[in-house]
Amino acid sequence: MPDALLTAHRATRTFGSFVAVDSVSLEVRPGEVVGLLGANGAGKTTLIRMILGLLGVSGGAVTLFGQAPSRATRARLGYVPQGLGLWDDLTVKENLAFVGETYAQAPIPVPDALAGLSSHLAGGIGLGRQRQVAFAAALGHSPELLVLDEPTSGVDPLSRARLWDAIHAAADAGVGVLVTTHYMQEAQQCDRLLLMSQGRAVAEGGEADIIGDTRAVAVLTEHWSDAFEALDAAGIMTMLAGAHVRAVDASQAQVSAALGAIPARLEVVPATLEEAMVARERAGS
Amino acid sequence: MKAMILKEFQELRRDRRTMAMLIALPIVLLVIFGYAANFTITSITTHVVGPNAAAVTGAVPGLFDVTGTDASGTSQDAKDLVRDNVADVVFDTNTTPFTAYVDGSSLFSAQTAVGALNAVPSEQLTVEVLYNPDLTTSWVMVPALVGLILTFIGTIITSIGLVRERQTGTLEQLAVMPLRPSAVIVGKIAPYFILASVDMIVVTLLGVWIFGVPFNGNPWLFAVGAAIFLFVVLGIGVLISTASQTQAQAIQLAMFVLMPQILLSGFIFPLSAMPAAISWIGYCLPLTYFVEISQGIMLRGAGFGSLWVSFAVLAGMAIVIFSAAVLRFRADLAPRAPRHADAEAAS
Amino acid sequence: MTWGARDLTVRYGSVTALDGVTVDVVPGEVVALVGGDGAGKTTLLRAIAGAVRPASGGVESPGVARIGFMPTQAGVWRDLTVDENIAFVGASQGVRGADLAQRRAALLEATGLTAATDRLAGDLSGGMRQKLAFSLAMLHRPPLLLLDEPSTGVDPVSRVDLWRMIAAAAAGGAAIAMATTYLDEAERAANVVVLDSGEVLLRGEPGAILERVPGHVRTTPTRAAGTATWRRGHEFREWVPEDPPPGTARAADLEDAVVAASLAKEAAHA
Repeated sequence: MPDALLTAHRATRTFGSFVAVDSVSLEVRPGEVVGLLGANGAGKTTLIRMILGLLGVSGGAVTLFGQAPSRATRARLGYVPQGLGLWDDLTVKENLAFVGETYAQAPIPVPDALAGLSSHLAGGIGLGRQRQVAFAAALGHSPELLVLDEPTSGVDPLSRARLWDAIHAAADAGVGVLVTTHYMQEAQQCDRLLLMSQGRAVAEGGEADIIGDTRAVAVLTEHWSDAFEALDAAGIMTMLAGAHVRAVDASQAQVSAALGAIPARLEVVPATLEEAMVARERAGS
Repeated sequence: MKAMILKEFQELRRDRRTMAMLIALPIVLLVIFGYAANFTITSITTHVVGPNAAAVTGAVPGLFDVTGTDASGTSQDAKDLVRDNVADVVFDTNTTPFTAYVDGSSLFSAQTAVGALNAVPSEQLTVEVLYNPDLTTSWVMVPALVGLILTFIGTIITSIGLVRERQTGTLEQLAVMPLRPSAVIVGKIAPYFILASVDMIVVTLLGVWIFGVPFNGNPWLFAVGAAIFLFVVLGIGVLISTASQTQAQAIQLAMFVLMPQILLSGFIFPLSAMPAAISWIGYCLPLTYFVEISQGIMLRGAGFGSLWVSFAVLAGMAIVIFSAAVLRFRADLAPRAPRHADAEAAS
Repeated sequence: MTWGARDLTVRYGSVTALDGVTVDVVPGEVVALVGGDGAGKTTLLRAIAGAVRPASGGVESPGVARIGFMPTQAGVWRDLTVDENIAFVGASQGVRGADLAQRRAALLEATGLTAATDRLAGDLSGGMRQKLAFSLAMLHRPPLLLLDEPSTGVDPVSRVDLWRMIAAAAAGGAAIAMATTYLDEAERAANVVVLDSGEVLLRGEPGAILERVPGHVRTTPTRAAGTATWRRGHEFREWVPEDPPPGTARAADLEDAVVAASLAKEAAHA
C-alpha cells in the first residue's frame, strides 16, 4: 500500500469559540480520487485551506507528503481554486509560463487543444477554456497531489466529461486527487466520498455508504401539487422530480397520514445521494 | 423614484470610506484653506554679516527676523548661509553699498523680501536674488513636482496594482505557490520603483530643458534622496493595498494620503506662513522633506551638510513605514492567525 | 397564454448569441434551459424579458411589469438589509401596504429569513442570498418568472429549498423558465431545452428527451477507440451514430444524452 500523499488526522480548526472543522480525518493515496461533499458552512473550504498550508491547525494534524505543509511541499501540489487563479490580464501562454517558471523553472507548454488561444487574454476566453488552462497550469509541473475546488462548475456536460477525463488520466498516472463538488454526477466519479456537515465528517465511503439507510417514499399520483403541499405542510422533507413527488426520510405510514384523502400509490425506494446528503444535514441541525 | 433615492442613501450610509470623504473632506479643505492658504509672509529668517552687522540689525524692518549675526563674516560666508538654508535673507555689510542676498528658492519669502527691500534707495542697498534671479515660479515648482509625481506613483499606482491581485483572487494563488514572501513583495514593487525612477528623471530633464530650471547640485545626492523617498511612498502604497479590498477603496485611501501632502508640504502654500497648529502637520509629511532636498540641491546646489536633517527624517520614515508594509503584506501570504473574517468565509 | 421565444436570433456585434431558437414557457410549468457558459441561456432570458433586441424572430411576454427576473449573481443589493431590499423592490414594483406586508411575511417564512431581516444581504450565505433574490423576483406575483442559474454555487441543501420555492410558484400558476447547469435539476422540470452555442441541441420532456438523441450511448468496460468516448466513474461511455438495438435506450440519463448530442453535433461539423 503506497504511503498516503495527504492525511488529516482529527484535524480541528477554531476561530474564537466557533469550531469550523471538528476532528476530521481524511486520507488521499496515489491514484485515488476523493470527493469532499457538504453544504456551505460545512467546513470544506476551511479544511482545504488547512491542507494547503494557508491556515494553521488548532488541533490534530495535517500532513502533506509525510510532512507539515510548507513551502517545499507546495511545489509538489497542484491547486485549482474556485476562482481558477488565472491572471485575467495575461495571455494563456503568459499564465502558463509564469506558473511553470515558479514551480519548475521552465514555462509550461500550451496544450494542443488550446493552441489557437495561446495569445488570447485569459480573461477573454470562455469559462470551459479557462478551466482547461487552469488545469494545464496545475498539472504542468507534474504534481503528486491535485486539489480541485468545484472544478467543473458552470461548464456544459461535454466539457465536464472532458475535464473529468483529464482528472482520471492524472489519477491513472498515480496522482492523488482531492475534489470538492456540488454536482451529484461528479460525486459519482470519485473513488471515495467524505460528507461534511457543520465541521464534522458525517459519512465516508462509496456512494452506497453515504446514502446508508436513508430511504425515500415515491408518491405516484396525478395530484402532484396537492400531494407536494400536503407533505410539505406536515413537515416532511419533500422533493419534486418533474411531476413525481418523493418524501425523504419518512415512513410510509407518515406519508399516508400526511396525504390524507389524496389518492396515491406509495413505493419505498433508496434515497438519491443528494437526498441522503440533505437528510443528514437536517438531522444534524 | 423615491424608493430609489432612499436605497441610495441606505447604501451610502454603509460605505464608510465614501462617508468619511463626504464629511471629512469639506472640513479638512475648509481648515486648510482657511488657515494654511496664506501667501503673506510676516517674518523672514534673516542673518547679518560684516563689520556693520550690529548697526544694520537694529535698523531692519520688523519683517526681517534677525536670528544671527556674524561681524567677521565675509561675502562668501553670506552666500553660504543662503545656500545652506540657514536664512532666507542675508545682509552683507562688507560691500558698499550693503548687499542683501535673497534666497530665490524660497519663493514667497523672496518675493516679500524683494518687495520690501525695493523701497530702500539703491545707493544704500543692492538687492541680489540668488538661485532664482527672476523669481520664476516654475523654478520652484519643478523640483517639488518631482516629489509629487513620485508620491503619486508610489501611493496610488502601486496600491491599485497590488489590490488588483487581491480583487481577482490571484493573491491566494500566489500564497499557494512555492514562492518566498520576499520574492512576491520585491517582484511586485520593483516595476513601480523602476517606473517612478524613470518618471522622475524624465520630469527633471524636461524641467531643466523646457523651463530652464537649473541643476546646481550633486545629481547622485539627489538620486539617493529620491530613492529613500521612493521607499517611503512605496511603503505607503503597500500599506494602502493591505487595507483595501477593491481598487476603488485603494484610490480613496490614497487620495486621503495625497491631498494633505499636496497642500501642506510647503510648495504651494509656504509653511512659514501657516499658524503653528497647521504647519506641524506639514512637518509630519514625507513630501515636505523631499521638497527641501530637491529644491536645495537643484536650485541652491546645497550639499549633504545642510540637508542631513531632511535625509535623516526620510530615512527614518522609510524604515518604519516600509517595515510595517512588508510585515502586513507577509501576513496575507503566510499561514494566518484566526480572524473573525475567516469565520464568515468558512465553508 | 404561452410565453417565450419564437425563432429568435440575437447578435452582439459579429457574435451570434442565439440562432433561431424557439422556447415555450407555459403557466404552471417549469422549463429548464440547460447549457454551459456561452450557450446562450442568459441571452435567451434577457431577450424574453425585453432587455435585448432581437435581430430576427420575436418573443412573447406579458410586459416588463409582470415579469420577475432573477439574474445570476447580482439579484440583491448587498449593502442593504433584507428588509430594505424587500422595501425597495416592493416600492419599485408597486407592491404596497397590506399586500406588501403579507407577501413579505409569506416569502420570509418560505426562505427561512424571518429572523434575519436586519442582516445585510452581503453578509448572508450564498444559498440564503439566492433565496432572497428569488423572493425579490417573486414579490409582485408575476405570471412569468425568468431565473438565470438560480442555484449555481449554492450548496445542495439550499438548492433543494430553492427548488421547492420554484415548484410552489409553478403550482401557483406562474410560468417559469429556469437556466441551469445542474442536470439533476433539469430532470425535475416539466420540459428541458438544451442549448449549445446559441442553438437548440435537444428538447423534450425529461423522460422522452432521452429518445431524441441521435445514435446511442454504449457502456464499455475499457475506453473504446476513437474520440467519441468519455468516462463516467469507473466505466466508459461511447457514442455511436447507429440506432440502438431494439429494447435498449439511446441514453441512460440526461447527462449521457447531452454529451452524446454534443458529440453528434461536433461530428456533423467536422
